[in-house]
Amino acid sequence: MEFGDFLKGASEIGKAMGVTLKHLRQKPVTVEFPHEDIPIYPRFRGRHELRRYANGLERCIGCCLCEAACPTEAIYVEAAENDPDAPLSPGERHAKVYELNLLRCVFCGDCEEACPTEAIVLGHDFAMANYERKDFVLTKEQLLNPGMPRVIIRPE
Amino acid sequence: MAEHVTLTINEKEVSVPARTLLVDAARMAGVEIPVFCSHPKLDPVGCCRMCLVEVDGPRGTAMMASCTMPVGDGMVVRTDTEQVRTVQEANLGFILLNHPLDCPICDKGGECPLQDQTMRFGQGISQLIEPKRLAKKHYDISDTIVLDQERCVLCWRCIRYLEEWEDKPQLGLFERGNDTIVDIQEGRPVDAKTSGNIIDLCPVGALTNRVARFAYRPWEIERTPSICMHCSVGCNVRLDSRTHQLRRIVGRENMQVNDQWICDKGRFAHGWVNDEKRLTAPLLRKNGRLTQVQWSEALAYIAGKAAGIKEKYGADAIGAIGSGKISNEGNYALQRFMRGVIGTNNIDHRDGGDVAALPTGLPALAELMKPQYGPDPQVDTVLLFGVDPSEELPVLDLHLKRAILRGGVKLIIAHARKIELTRYEGPYLAYKPGEEIPLIDSLTQAVQGSCETGGDAAARAAGGLLSESEKALIIYGPMAARGESGPGVRLELERLAQAAGEGTRVAYVGLDGNAQGCRDMGVLPDRLPGQFPLDDAEAKARLEGLWGCTLSGSPGYTYKQMLDSQEMRALFVNGANPAAESPDWAASLDDLDLLVVTDLLPTETAEKADVVLPAQGWAESDGTYTNLERRVQRAPKAVADPKSRAAPDWMIFIHLARQMGAAWPFTDVRSVTEEITWAVPAYAGLNWEALGDQGRQWAAEAAPSAAESTGRGTAGVHAGASEEADYPLSLVTGTVLYDGGTLFGLTEQMHGMAHGATVTLNPADAATFGVEAGSPVTVQSDQGQLEVTAAVDAQVQQGTAWIPESLPGAPVGALLNGSYTQRVKVERR
Repeated sequence: MEFGDFLKGASEIGKAMGVTLKHLRQKPVTVEFPHEDIPIYPRFRGRHELRRYANGLERCIGCCLCEAACPTEAIYVEAAENDPDAPLSPGERHAKVYELNLLRCVFCGDCEEACPTEAIVLGHDFAMANYERKDFVLTKEQLLNPGMPRVIIRPE
Repeated sequence: MAEHVTLTINEKEVSVPARTLLVDAARMAGVEIPVFCSHPKLDPVGCCRMCLVEVDGPRGTAMMASCTMPVGDGMVVRTDTEQVRTVQEANLGFILLNHPLDCPICDKGGECPLQDQTMRFGQGISQLIEPKRLAKKHYDISDTIVLDQERCVLCWRCIRYLEEWEDKPQLGLFERGNDTIVDIQEGRPVDAKTSGNIIDLCPVGALTNRVARFAYRPWEIERTPSICMHCSVGCNVRLDSRTHQLRRIVGRENMQVNDQWICDKGRFAHGWVNDEKRLTAPLLRKNGRLTQVQWSEALAYIAGKAAGIKEKYGADAIGAIGSGKISNEGNYALQRFMRGVIGTNNIDHRDGGDVAALPTGLPALAELMKPQYGPDPQVDTVLLFGVDPSEELPVLDLHLKRAILRGGVKLIIAHARKIELTRYEGPYLAYKPGEEIPLIDSLTQAVQGSCETGGDAAARAAGGLLSESEKALIIYGPMAARGESGPGVRLELERLAQAAGEGTRVAYVGLDGNAQGCRDMGVLPDRLPGQFPLDDAEAKARLEGLWGCTLSGSPGYTYKQMLDSQEMRALFVNGANPAAESPDWAASLDDLDLLVVTDLLPTETAEKADVVLPAQGWAESDGTYTNLERRVQRAPKAVADPKSRAAPDWMIFIHLARQMGAAWPFTDVRSVTEEITWAVPAYAGLNWEALGDQGRQWAAEAAPSAAESTGRGTAGVHAGASEEADYPLSLVTGTVLYDGGTLFGLTEQMHGMAHGATVTLNPADAATFGVEAGSPVTVQSDQGQLEVTAAVDAQVQQGTAWIPESLPGAPVGALLNGSYTQRVKVERR
């Protein structure tokens, strides 16, 4: 072994120890989830949500374009005609059934892209563990009423 | 016609028949010209200007509408120049000025010519900043069609279809300039029987299907080429399904059958396919109640019971009723089960052995058709005898109208009612049920020139037309040739055809979807498969060899006789509902030792059954069907209900035969089709590959002649000879398109179109009996009575009362009770 190699190795170890020692003086990055909120970026793609207009009408018109765009066939939509006296969405058409299978979803966001009314969006909820397979199929009801995710949005 | 012209399209020389339109010539040459108003089946109008192309003329290059311009010899056409593209972009921009961007909620989205052409030929950007025109949206122009006036691009296709094909101008353009809208005439809904075709024709989403509204997206459905089962025309359709459900039906082109048109019943009345009332599991009567059981238990019960009855009373105590609504395979298996396993010829279907049919059906539907620039019809005179195509066979009606309007075909109508087609010029001969033979006699006399002695003016005119004609076609239906007088009517019609001279043909048209196939399969008491008589040694030997059994030579009971007879101990009823037809039959079904009903839905007959077996419909199982012109067509399986345990008819009888000790060599439906090609000489070679998606007509020469031999005896025919004074009216019955039948009634959206429970009287008769339209009346015959509402219409001739078959809550069978002619009286309630 050459002397030069020895020096090079020693300097590398010194550099590595430097990083370690630097972090000794910092607070730990571990977050005590679920007791603490997790910081995520604004464009994080988590559990889907269906949004409403300010007047309470659903944005979703049941056009099935998200279903068509979905690469894993995770979305199933069944459209129906609106009752003119009690419409669920603006216009003639609404989604009678909207189901989203989280086990199939790859969170690519293509559904968001395809949606002409910005009804389906990927939210910030990532805590999606469940006990039953069937509970991973989100119904329209669940999608329209998302919970508040335990996250902190950090600047990009 | 064979004369060709040569022209140059985009520097390429093409040769096309003279008189071809430029747009069609380009299509033949593989050059696409975008169009909206032009359609190969409609007359050119040239109103959308989308098809402008550059044509070199004597005065230089000009932009010409290629959809109205016939080709000329040496013409030089360019469709890909800068100028053409500029004009196409400008035209699309102009069309899109007022077209709302509804695509996400529009049912046409995904299969919309406007979408496609905007993507291909459009500018890609919008220059419009002004608001779009507002008009009526989602506005019902009938119970089945929704109009959106904002989306309309004013191409006239719907208007032209209703004018040129239906001859019912029920849509029109109103207002002028920018305000022009398409609308119905004076608030009257569109009621043409084939109005749904305008949905297929519409190049945008202005006309959409109200029954299938929002139920599908074009990119997510499975498309299965199939055929329609509602009547015997056998129109080619496409079944669009998703998630095991039939979502919609659209027309499919077959130039030998339906062109590309289908009727509204075929298009919209499919609600029954996925109805909740469908039978999904075998039911066995236990302690007086029908209880769900396993297939094995139901089949073992039937096999044991049937074997016991056969041993005790003989094979002839067992009978079976097939159906013209079931595939050839289902009917063949049923018939082989009865003849080969049970050993009886007691097998028939409604309108089967009781009707004097001809084995060959119509010569060819295409003979009546006149394509846009094709040959004239090969028929010059049509006599409709006891057939009402408008109600019974709507697409035949369409072909006939076209033949009359464009092909110069003369029409003669003999019917108990003044049917819709009588609006065309031509003699109308009225008769009352039971008076068919004298009428044909007087016609024959008129044809032979001895008309001075008898016959009225109409008969003389009809006789004149028939004797002048060179290629006449006489079409009769089951209504005219039922019962004891049936063979007489057939014989007289054949005599009339002979008298009318060379080239005159007689054709019988059945009404059910597979009426012809049912006969071909031998679901007749006196005919073997292939319609051979029971004593035809060759046919008998062939079938005995194929089936490995000996066949009974004695003719069986007809449909009516089986239900009237007291000797029947067991009955297999397949897709028929005799209990709803006559109260006497309903009572006689109760007396049976074994009643097995195979059906799609719980019918009145099924409620009386000992065993109910759930069957699969035409959309759920593979099968072949034979239409009225002997065209064998295949309807592949399109949907499957994973929760249902229903089985196809052929499979049920294979398993039943196995239970009873017979080993049939069938593995699947294909092998049944294969055996039919051996058992029925006319079907030789007609396997699935040969049928393709357009079907094949079997050769008329392969059919045996319609020799007389009709069942045994005529048990239980009611004479119906009540005093004329007591019962002053003659009862006329028949089929209407929108009846109360189960297959129609389960499509909720069409309830408003259904023929109500009415008796229709001539205004003169109505005045005599003091009855007004809408008044509640009782119709009485010596067999029973019926409570209905009265209607008054001059189409019904004086001295008759018109009550269609299978009306909701008004079974006309209660008055007829199994007979075909009956006198009635009508009294105000």
